[in-house]
Amino acid sequence: MSQENNTPDFVGRSGIRSAREQSIKWLLFGCAALSVAVTTAIVATLLFDAIDFFLEVSPMAFFFGTTWSPTIDQAFGVVPLVAGTLFVTVLSACIAIPVGVASATYLSEYASRKTRSIIKPALEILAGIPTVVYGYFALVYLTPALEWLGLPLSTFNALSASIMIGIMIIPMVSSLSEDAMSAVPDSLRQAGYGMGATKLEVSTGVVIPAAASGIFSSFILALSRAIGETMIVVVAAGMRPRLVPSPFESLEVMTAAMVQLVTTDIAGGSTAYRAMFAIGITLFAITFAMNLASTFVASRYREEYQ
Amino acid sequence: MATGHDGPTGDWFGNSEQISRLPGKVFAATCLAATLFGIVMVAGLLVYVTKDAIRPLTANPGWFLVFFLTLVVPSTALLAYFGRRRDGEATVALTALGIPFFGLLLGSGVLMLFIDVIGIFEWLAFVAATIVAVGVILGHRRVRGRTSFLEELLVGVVALVGLGPVTYQFISTFPTLPQAWLIYLFTFGLGGAAIAGLLVARRRNDRRAGLTAFTALFVTVTAGVFIDPSTGITPPVWVILFTFAAIPTALYAEGVVRRRQGSLPVGLFFPFVVVAGMLVGAVLVDLLGFAGPQAWLDIQFLTSANSRFPEEAGIYPALIGSILMMVVVAISSFPIGVGAALYLEEYAPSSGPLSVVVKFIEINIANLAGVPSVVYGLLGLALFVNWLDFASGIVVVGGMTVGLLILPIIIISAQEAIRAVPGSLRQASYGMGATRWQTIRRVVLPEALPGILTGSILAFGRAIGETAPLLMIGAAASVFRAPNGFFDIFSAMPRQIYTWVGQPSQEFQYGVMAAGVVTLVTVMISMNAAAILIRNKYERRS
Repeated sequence: MSQENNTPDFVGRSGIRSAREQSIKWLLFGCAALSVAVTTAIVATLLFDAIDFFLEVSPMAFFFGTTWSPTIDQAFGVVPLVAGTLFVTVLSACIAIPVGVASATYLSEYASRKTRSIIKPALEILAGIPTVVYGYFALVYLTPALEWLGLPLSTFNALSASIMIGIMIIPMVSSLSEDAMSAVPDSLRQAGYGMGATKLEVSTGVVIPAAASGIFSSFILALSRAIGETMIVVVAAGMRPRLVPSPFESLEVMTAAMVQLVTTDIAGGSTAYRAMFAIGITLFAITFAMNLASTFVASRYREEYQ
Repeated sequence: MATGHDGPTGDWFGNSEQISRLPGKVFAATCLAATLFGIVMVAGLLVYVTKDAIRPLTANPGWFLVFFLTLVVPSTALLAYFGRRRDGEATVALTALGIPFFGLLLGSGVLMLFIDVIGIFEWLAFVAATIVAVGVILGHRRVRGRTSFLEELLVGVVALVGLGPVTYQFISTFPTLPQAWLIYLFTFGLGGAAIAGLLVARRRNDRRAGLTAFTALFVTVTAGVFIDPSTGITPPVWVILFTFAAIPTALYAEGVVRRRQGSLPVGLFFPFVVVAGMLVGAVLVDLLGFAGPQAWLDIQFLTSANSRFPEEAGIYPALIGSILMMVVVAISSFPIGVGAALYLEEYAPSSGPLSVVVKFIEINIANLAGVPSVVYGLLGLALFVNWLDFASGIVVVGGMTVGLLILPIIIISAQEAIRAVPGSLRQASYGMGATRWQTIRRVVLPEALPGILTGSILAFGRAIGETAPLLMIGAAASVFRAPNGFFDIFSAMPRQIYTWVGQPSQEFQYGVMAAGVVTLVTVMISMNAAAILIRNKYERRS
């Protein structure tokens, strides 16, 4: 009898087991790494066609040109589109930021557990409604309603689209700001009450300043969402590039210009087709930078209290 | 004593001694109003659009009265009674109504796929190939003993890819195929009953109970096949709807009865009251000759294709397109998303060179979630259509593009769910000698599954409404027949709605489009509601 047979084999097929474990680990790592591949693919595909575009149209003419008329005049100045985007974003922020912060304050400081358990799913549904539906609401119900109030609106206008975008991003501002406010330690609130402050003074004087960086990062994220919003503006704000936008008239934003280019019949390799990718990479760069900024700001507030 | 009017103390909280409560109340009320602003406004708009889609004013008042008396009064009275008893009977009642409802919704989706897209022949070949592949894996296991996961995966893929076409060929040589209903019965009915039986056996720890459940369900589903087809309940309709609606409901009822040993769970009868109310109402309305509303959103709208004439326009091909697209979205994003989340939460090292890569991946995922959907559309156009040479506007391209779009959302929510699993459970599992993968598969995943499902369903709800990526990849503005496969050109519900935006006539703007919007929002809210229900159920348990 050989010696080995007497020692019980506790480890089992350790070789096979660890091979199996390793293979699973790398398989899952592959899944995680795919996200990097997606980013790379976005950048690569956009750059590929955008570079071709910039070989035909100089970047100066693109970034500083003041006329956008890609199919008729071959004019590729992106300034009117950026102006339109900024205009819509600022208008919608005027709604979403005050409403979102007030709602976050209510949810975090005033609402009972039960109220919160009803309101939060409702806000989630608000965030989940398809944007084309919001666009439909703006075009078919909101614009006539505002006209009835006496505003001189054209059929497609920036105002009702911006209001709808504002409503769409309220849940984003409120839920992220609420997270930030809930993360403020209770000891700060207690200290405020100990000084004789009222609940109003604690909310506005202690909690909101303490959560400021988190709230601010939610603003950046929400604005980046408003910049990239497509269907609401495509449906309700029209496709008319303007250097000086007016809330009562139609205008064109960057995303709408891309949709317009892809839905009209333009030839696959034409300059206008590539202009779409040039706008795309500009949009991607702006939103990516804003998201990074938001992550940076948010990570600062985390350092303060945890 | 000192009145404090002219005290030298300067500004400090409460120095006026009398503090008005008014500013605080006004502030709280303002905040509440702000919270409700968006919700109320959108709810109002939804009511409005539903009104336009249903046109309740065109109905005879008697019609409403009849349904009010037969449906609304009994069911609300019963619910109020359950609510007052405060023993959870109301929850049981609502769940017993909700499960068959969602089951019917899902079952109808599957049914549409089988009627229009997947031929009975392909289905049989697919099932046969899967059975063969599973058989090969089991056989391989028996010969080689337990082997590495990769090896099994490889064998499985080889079996499926290698034997699938052979099976297909083999089946196509059959002179006659079994009747379609037999095939449905033995795939859906048998499969569903078997899974239910296994679950019952495991829950009760009683093989015989499982066998009884299996037999009862299978006999019922077989018996239903012989319902007269002229009632509209043809065998495929019966088998598929039974599998998706009745079997889960039966499982739920079994669970309730088991937990309530002895006392009768009356809440389970609630759905019967509702259904009976509907039937009685329908019969009465028919007898008394009360006309219902002339809704835009009716069976005709749901079952016909788009048309130039508003009365004939429908959403059916786009509905099928959306369902097919969601199949691709789920397949392409769910496994990868959960896998990535598992790696980041369970495997990712916190130090060493790889940790830098992991940190980079995490930041990258957070940023991908914020990339505008229209940019994903461009990615899909450039990657799948221009580079990989797929045809533009086909189901696979749309599904994969939207799948990439929701991938970061799925990863982030799955990560949260996995993080919420307490570490003590993992330690206990390691302490029993389990390896890391065994711990994940047997402990972490089952525990995190409700959370993962909630997040994923919410993400799928978002995916079904995405329009911009579909515009970019060139999904059809309108198709007049349903796509008949994953490589066919398609339109989806939101894309179809955008097409109708271009129709200036009143009937389209306030009629057809309203009906389309209500259909889309109903699907989306049902998905959100399902997700929220799953979350509430499992939150309370822990």
